[in-house]
Amino acid sequence: MKPHDHETCAARIERTMGKLGADDHELLIEGAMLAAAHRLNARMHRLGMTAVDEDLIHTYLLTINEYRRLSVADGESMKSLAAIEDLRPAFVRGDYPGGAEAAQHALQLLAVIRGRAQTSET
Amino acid sequence: MHIDAHLSKISRLERSRSRLDPSADFELWFWAAMQAGTHALNAALHHAGLSSESQAFAMQPGVYLVPQAEGTLVPQLLPPGDVLHLGRPRIEGELPADLKEMAHAMETIESYRDPCVREGKPATPEIAAECDAALQQCLSLLRRRLSEHA
Repeated sequence: MKPHDHETCAARIERTMGKLGADDHELLIEGAMLAAAHRLNARMHRLGMTAVDEDLIHTYLLTINEYRRLSVADGESMKSLAAIEDLRPAFVRGDYPGGAEAAQHALQLLAVIRGRAQTSET
Repeated sequence: MHIDAHLSKISRLERSRSRLDPSADFELWFWAAMQAGTHALNAALHHAGLSSESQAFAMQPGVYLVPQAEGTLVPQLLPPGDVLHLGRPRIEGELPADLKEMAHAMETIESYRDPCVREGKPATPEIAAECDAALQQCLSLLRRRLSEHA
């Protein structure tokens, strides 16, 4: 997808997240992951690192070489998306205590990615 | 996870989904349905004895995060417990008829995941209704299994 379309998708998901409360931590974490992936794809397309028909879905599905390459372009965003993804086993699929705090952390990580992506908008 | 924990997760996800509009909030409304259906599938697989019930959280096929007594989470290689999606990891053995129906319902839901959540295809009311019907079928089959084979 084109960068602007990724941003439109991310904004829709972020609007929906505003309807959720702290006790909806599973969907807040999932929403952060989905919106963050759209924001990061927009950034990588704008930087010329990935083609518009080569979207990243999850960092852990990339080859190690590709993860390293994209991390050179924006390591902070790649690390932040990976950190959101790492919250899913325990707090989305699992019922480990601390889900509400994990969701707040996911929102902070999404804000980091969104902030960096918006600096690359033209 | 244990069957009771999956049932609790389904309740939580259904409560969250009820706060959202199937059109304006399709992405997360859909995602909650998909996750609830996956919990239902896992509960049914455990109940059928085709996967293990344990306090272990699926990371990737074959790898689970396991809570430790001192309060940490440690990744471990384990035989199939919770699946992430049907086929990840692959479940050995023949699925009973009701589980085949649940699997088919989940395939219906998941067929809309990438197009409508990741690729920007507009989700029509018909798509939302189809996903909701597939989830309700999954949940109904799980309830029937748990009540008839208690």
